[in-house]
Amino acid sequence: MPSATAVNKHRPSELLSRLASDDPEVKVRALREVKNQIIGNPTKKLSFLKLGAVPAVAGILADSIDEVTNNNNCNSNTSNILVQSAAALGSFACGFDAGVQAVLDAGAFPNLLRLLANPNEKVADAGARALRMIYQSKLAPKYDFLQQKNMEFLISLLNSEKENVSGLGASIITRSCETSLEQKALFDAGILRKLNSLLGGGSLSQRDASLESLATIFRNNPEVISKFAGPEIGRPLSSIIDLVKDRHPRTRLLACMCLIVIRNASPHFLQDIGIKSKIIHILLELLDDPSQVGDEAPFAFSSLIAQKEDLQKLALEANAIDKLYHHLKKGSLHPRRYEGILLALADMCSKLESCRSKFLSLQVLNLVADALTDHNAGVRTAACVCLKNVTRSIKNLSAGYFMNEIIVIPLVQLFPDPSTSVQGFRWQEKSERPDTFPLLDAVAALGAVSNIMVDFTTRKSIFVQCGGMKQLVQLAKSMESAVRSNALWALKNFVFQADNRLKEGVFSELTASLLSSLISDPEPSVQEQALALVRNLVDGCINLIELVFAEDGLILGAIGRQLQCASKAEIGIQGMYALCNVASGNEFHKEAVIQQLFTQMGDKNQSFVIKFLQSNDCQLRTATVWTIVNLTCPSSPGAPGRLEKLRNAGIISQIKNMVNDPCVDVKLRVRTVLGQSMAFGDN
Amino acid sequence: MTTSKKTITRDEWEKRLNDVKIRKEDMNKLVMNFLVTEGYVEAAEKFRMESGTEPDIDLATISERMAVKKAVQCGNVEDAIEKVNDLNPEILDTNPQLFFHLQQQRLIELIRNGKIEEALEFAQEELAPRGEENQSFLEELERTVSLLAFEDVSNCPVGELLDISQRLKTASEVNAAILTSQSHEKDPKLPSLLKMLLWAQNQLDEKFDYPRINDLSSATLEDPAV
Repeated sequence: MPSATAVNKHRPSELLSRLASDDPEVKVRALREVKNQIIGNPTKKLSFLKLGAVPAVAGILADSIDEVTNNNNCNSNTSNILVQSAAALGSFACGFDAGVQAVLDAGAFPNLLRLLANPNEKVADAGARALRMIYQSKLAPKYDFLQQKNMEFLISLLNSEKENVSGLGASIITRSCETSLEQKALFDAGILRKLNSLLGGGSLSQRDASLESLATIFRNNPEVISKFAGPEIGRPLSSIIDLVKDRHPRTRLLACMCLIVIRNASPHFLQDIGIKSKIIHILLELLDDPSQVGDEAPFAFSSLIAQKEDLQKLALEANAIDKLYHHLKKGSLHPRRYEGILLALADMCSKLESCRSKFLSLQVLNLVADALTDHNAGVRTAACVCLKNVTRSIKNLSAGYFMNEIIVIPLVQLFPDPSTSVQGFRWQEKSERPDTFPLLDAVAALGAVSNIMVDFTTRKSIFVQCGGMKQLVQLAKSMESAVRSNALWALKNFVFQADNRLKEGVFSELTASLLSSLISDPEPSVQEQALALVRNLVDGCINLIELVFAEDGLILGAIGRQLQCASKAEIGIQGMYALCNVASGNEFHKEAVIQQLFTQMGDKNQSFVIKFLQSNDCQLRTATVWTIVNLTCPSSPGAPGRLEKLRNAGIISQIKNMVNDPCVDVKLRVRTVLGQSMAFGDN
Repeated sequence: MTTSKKTITRDEWEKRLNDVKIRKEDMNKLVMNFLVTEGYVEAAEKFRMESGTEPDIDLATISERMAVKKAVQCGNVEDAIEKVNDLNPEILDTNPQLFFHLQQQRLIELIRNGKIEEALEFAQEELAPRGEENQSFLEELERTVSLLAFEDVSNCPVGELLDISQRLKTASEVNAAILTSQSHEKDPKLPSLLKMLLWAQNQLDEKFDYPRINDLSSATLEDPAV
């Protein structure tokens, strides 16, 4: 029995050869079969793509359009060919970026546009649909709104009664409108009024498309928003607000997202606590929706509350944390939803202690710790951000709540391989969150760890035992500066008020030469963290001060050099405090410090000390004066000599000018210095 | 301790019922909505002529939708897929769950017709990739393929897949997707009203004895127990 099964009949290569047939009926049937094979089937789309199906179909489309133009008529065969080829191209482009690219590369875009003018409704519709699929992708060609012709064309699309055509207009706006100039141009052309009318009078898909377009035009543009909402008498923005209660979940979500965009751009709109609570309530409810709407709801929630304490408080009262926890508990979440819920929890806990307490009381921590080992990278990063925010809770840090195996070990496992190059890191796409910045997976994990490192109990050894400390040191050598500075940050926190043994362990792992080269790192953020690390290392114990003298005073020298050319106040602050701590030691230490203050001068007359004392930054002035206090402490025999040096350099008179410094800390230390200097006879 | 419930007599009840006014147009709309959503084109046409009630969607699109539904109910899934794609190519492209169920139904029909080799090839080529992408699809695929392992399919644990009810389930899913794509409610309103009636009676039961409707099809009032 021959095995000519139904499946064999339609082998892709065989189909493609039929596409090339001269017989229009054969061609139409082949097109239709290709279309039917690829719709809904990403695997087939890819395999047809690889066989060159897209240029073949695009070619047929082009030929047929030429025929229509040349003959000035469109018979039913040609119409069929146009419909089927447009539908096939549309399907290749549907949710499939490689397909979109192939369709564009094959030059089909202008031909699809020409279909819109075809008198046959089905043909125009097929063209509109295919174009809409293209515009759902980031690869869609940029639409130039600022050209008059283009704006007119867009308006004609939006005015169409046909859903697919007006939907295309909206998709173009949502995809291509980026700058405030474009937003204004769209407003001036009356587009917003049209979109607004679709909110009330259009079909479901027109309403949804309009909401997305409106949000795009409003984004970060308070001027357009006030022009739109300002003239409305009665309830401004009522057309959008009403849709927040629509029966369709997707409409509710899009309406909320639109209002959130408005509020983030113009906070004086939607001040009413009622509407704020309503949006919070609706977004939390949408978490119940099983479709993509429920996946996106937590992201919308985040964009509402991020960085805003008042809204976080409101959300807390609406039991947001309980509800997010409830969904997290369900398990088997779609990765997008999982990530969204974790980020929403992260945003809730970013500023308010009350939220963190609620979070911890519900035992959400264990679920978040589970997420650290999820196979999806976005989920893991979100878990790290969540942990980082929750561990800002000083109360719970000091209770040693977080320094345990369940959390620390998975976090350490997320540390990247130090040898990974820049290309190896995954950058997250910018989202709608106002505090957005590109996250490195590594940095997220390090951020979480950094906070946990500030553990006031004695359980820091867990971190050493699981190899975390060694890994951090390795990461301090990373090629990526953000990784270096964050690893140092974590180490800085780790040694903060840690016992001597721990500090010595860290130092011997780091070595003086590495630490001094990090102090002299090209990146200011790395310099700052390295100096802060030294400051914490030598703080509190005179024995540890010796560390800066290791290998011929490598570290001390590096500090001095870096202070001389400090590019920002923070570097000066950490460096001075490091010197300050060293100067709290014995005679030898103090002499070494004062050496550093002066030997770096070179041909400059002024020591950086004076520059720091004159700084606008109060912390920098404080740190510098403190150092002088330690250097001129009367109980040390070498104090008078050092005082003389300081006086000669004009530092003491500079300090005298600071008796009325606006900063209390500075004022008090200035008095101490002057008091100490008078003990040796002032002049 | 049982709290005593108040009793409403039949006379009282009927009097209250008579006081409720319902417009004829509303009733007609409900009927039309039912006919249109369920796809009874001819009945809808006739009803429109007799009552003057306008349907809320174009009757022409109903025929197309009904053709799809019928094709699935008869087991001609490939035909149904072609028709849906002619109607609106986006539906199956944006509805992975529906598409999978249709492909699954195709597989079931191949197995039902004894085309075992074809069934296996189909499962491998068309369905396996979907299973790789989605855990629940994989489980359903495995259930379906396991039909091949049994001698007596009518008695096996997954035998229900071969039942006509499976076809109806898939047909209903397609019908709903088409309605949604046409921005129409996928469920008729009448069943919801009946549900509300039953719910309201249950609520009332806690406080009153009254003439209840126990049989929805006859809608007769049954006297409260004396």
